[in-house]
Amino acid sequence: MTIEYVDAGEAINHSQLSTMPHRAPDVTRGINYDRILQARNESHNWITYYGDYDGKRYSLLDQINVDNVKDLKVAWIHQSSATGMMASTSTYAFEACPLVVDGVMFVTGWDGLLWALDAVTGEQLWRYKHAVPFDVTLCCANVNRGCAVANGKVYMVTQNAQLLALDATTGEKVWQKTIGDVRAGESASLAPLVVKDTIITGSAGGEFGVRGHIDCWDLETGEQRWRTYTVPKPGEPGSETWPADGEAWQRGGANHWVTGTYDPELNLYYAGTGNPAPDFDGEVRQGDNLYSDSVVALDVDTGEIKWHYQFTPHDLWDYDSTMEMTLFERDGKKLLAHFDKNGYMFVLDRTNGELQHVTPFVDRIDWGAITRDGKFMPRKYPDKEGEPCHFFPGPAGAKEWTHASYHPEHDLFYVPVADVGATATRRRREFKEGMPYWGAAVEVDVDNMAGSISAFDSHGEEKWRYRLNLPMAASTLTTAGNLVFAGTPTGEFLALHAETGEELWRFQCGSGHHSSPSTYTVDGKQYITVPVGWGGWLEGIVPGMSGQGKGASLITFSL
Amino acid sequence: MTIAEDREALLAEIGGQNKAAIGAVLGTGSIAKASERPDGTMEATIRIAEDALAWEPSVLVLPHAGTVELTIINDDKNTHACLLPSNGDRKFIGLLNHSKGRATLELDGPGYYWYGSPAGNDEGRGLTAAIVVSGEVPPEAKLDRPAQPRP
Repeated sequence: MTIEYVDAGEAINHSQLSTMPHRAPDVTRGINYDRILQARNESHNWITYYGDYDGKRYSLLDQINVDNVKDLKVAWIHQSSATGMMASTSTYAFEACPLVVDGVMFVTGWDGLLWALDAVTGEQLWRYKHAVPFDVTLCCANVNRGCAVANGKVYMVTQNAQLLALDATTGEKVWQKTIGDVRAGESASLAPLVVKDTIITGSAGGEFGVRGHIDCWDLETGEQRWRTYTVPKPGEPGSETWPADGEAWQRGGANHWVTGTYDPELNLYYAGTGNPAPDFDGEVRQGDNLYSDSVVALDVDTGEIKWHYQFTPHDLWDYDSTMEMTLFERDGKKLLAHFDKNGYMFVLDRTNGELQHVTPFVDRIDWGAITRDGKFMPRKYPDKEGEPCHFFPGPAGAKEWTHASYHPEHDLFYVPVADVGATATRRRREFKEGMPYWGAAVEVDVDNMAGSISAFDSHGEEKWRYRLNLPMAASTLTTAGNLVFAGTPTGEFLALHAETGEELWRFQCGSGHHSSPSTYTVDGKQYITVPVGWGGWLEGIVPGMSGQGKGASLITFSL
Repeated sequence: MTIAEDREALLAEIGGQNKAAIGAVLGTGSIAKASERPDGTMEATIRIAEDALAWEPSVLVLPHAGTVELTIINDDKNTHACLLPSNGDRKFIGLLNHSKGRATLELDGPGYYWYGSPAGNDEGRGLTAAIVVSGEVPPEAKLDRPAQPRP
């Protein structure tokens, strides 16, 4: 006898089984280019990745200040962890910078997650979850650094190289574009940047021998406006820095995997680029390997490279230069500051890329040296097959991707410094698409490591240092309250005096920090918010902490 | 050490409940390919056999990215569920004893995804299976370079 099946119906969205209202106030409708140009002047919000186009990570808010920060307390916590089996199950991290618009927070997680939260209560308003393949190629973990907002939408990239535009009130997808080739080893992790009526993204995958690129998309339709490759083809400017008769340029890396900064007067987007590929085997890619380890200044309307400056020519140490290019002015000059993985602080004229000066910002540098006027002198590198070569800083750099902040009143940069070395042993390998293409065995020192939050003025003079026993691996935030906020690998969230580095407050968050905190006010009350979730490329950044345990929380503080 | 010729025999030892291990080892069951309608929508049926605590097929292959309509059948005499990947949100369906339901998924490709029954330790006992999406990314998303060697 046949028994009829019980009708189980149609599968529903998992988030229907929750208390979230699936709706957020329409706060991003009025966010447009004009407002983002003035982002710092609405410091009650944090409407773009760095808080402003200039990358300073500086807020005018001062309600929380040196006098009362000792009273800072947890306002709310948002928690989420892995559900089911996902890519990088053991190494995912919470690396985002939360955006806040008129009381609504938009924050990305790992594995295609984006949450809209009530910025006062932490209530989850809606959730978007992209399906990310389990086998997606990720060099360093399942991470995402943030989103962008404009015109009623939220924009994010996914680990499998998709760009999404979501309705900011419901989290429903409006459009989706494929922006990279996962079979080639491409992925995406940066926060997109809205400029004019476009949105700018970059690719990741430099450890897999891809060809890096920066892309510009129409904000409303997702139609591509331009793509600029960061490794030139034969015959293009810069191609003379690659072997003339080889295939090296096709696999040259130079990925733009951290959000750039933008000068609206110059119409230039300042993009940092990553290591050349293979990372440590320079013999197969003779030459300077432009535009790897560089800042490229792109005309935002055309994508044309107007000028470039290469921080590490012919890199043999994995010294990406993707981290922020902070825009500031001094003596009437438009300048750009950059703290590179190679251990040096560079200040450039951002109108033309002319070097102003170079200064070391970490104690131990022995790969070589760069003089104050920019003369590059490599000394130690893995150039013989099978022969170990130890060097400082290691491949995670004297400063990883996490960001410095800049306090304009004090002319001080607050730099998360890592002081750890590594041994690379060159091991040549044949290139195969989608496979790791490092050209070495790499072991980062598991002990003998240090770190600090260090304050440098724009001339490169160190003004104070807050010492740690471990490398720093999280962005700093500075405010008009004369404060610097920074999270440590061991979980402490610190408030330091911006002028002296004196510790004024700390809170143990229960997991290491590897993200970018932000600040905002709602109804006149200031909040500091920080994603906390230890993970990422820990064997490169802090190998001695890779067994520390994981976490996945967003913690928000107020007085 | 056992050599490759014994693969089927070894799989028979570890497949099923309370054999070599406590549960069925993931990815050791059957494999099947979804069918495709003229409009490109794909179709497939996944089911749980009685006392198997495993999805059949344990690997479902989709010929390309896009939309797949699944029929989900629980032939077991116990209650399970199914939590599936899909762009936007995971899809959930409860599966009472001897029940049948549906799910519509949107998946990017190429790549593969795991899904499972989020009840007790169904996932660990064997009710975790894979959806493999074949194909290439759209031509406009490929790198401007000559074809490269693959493994």
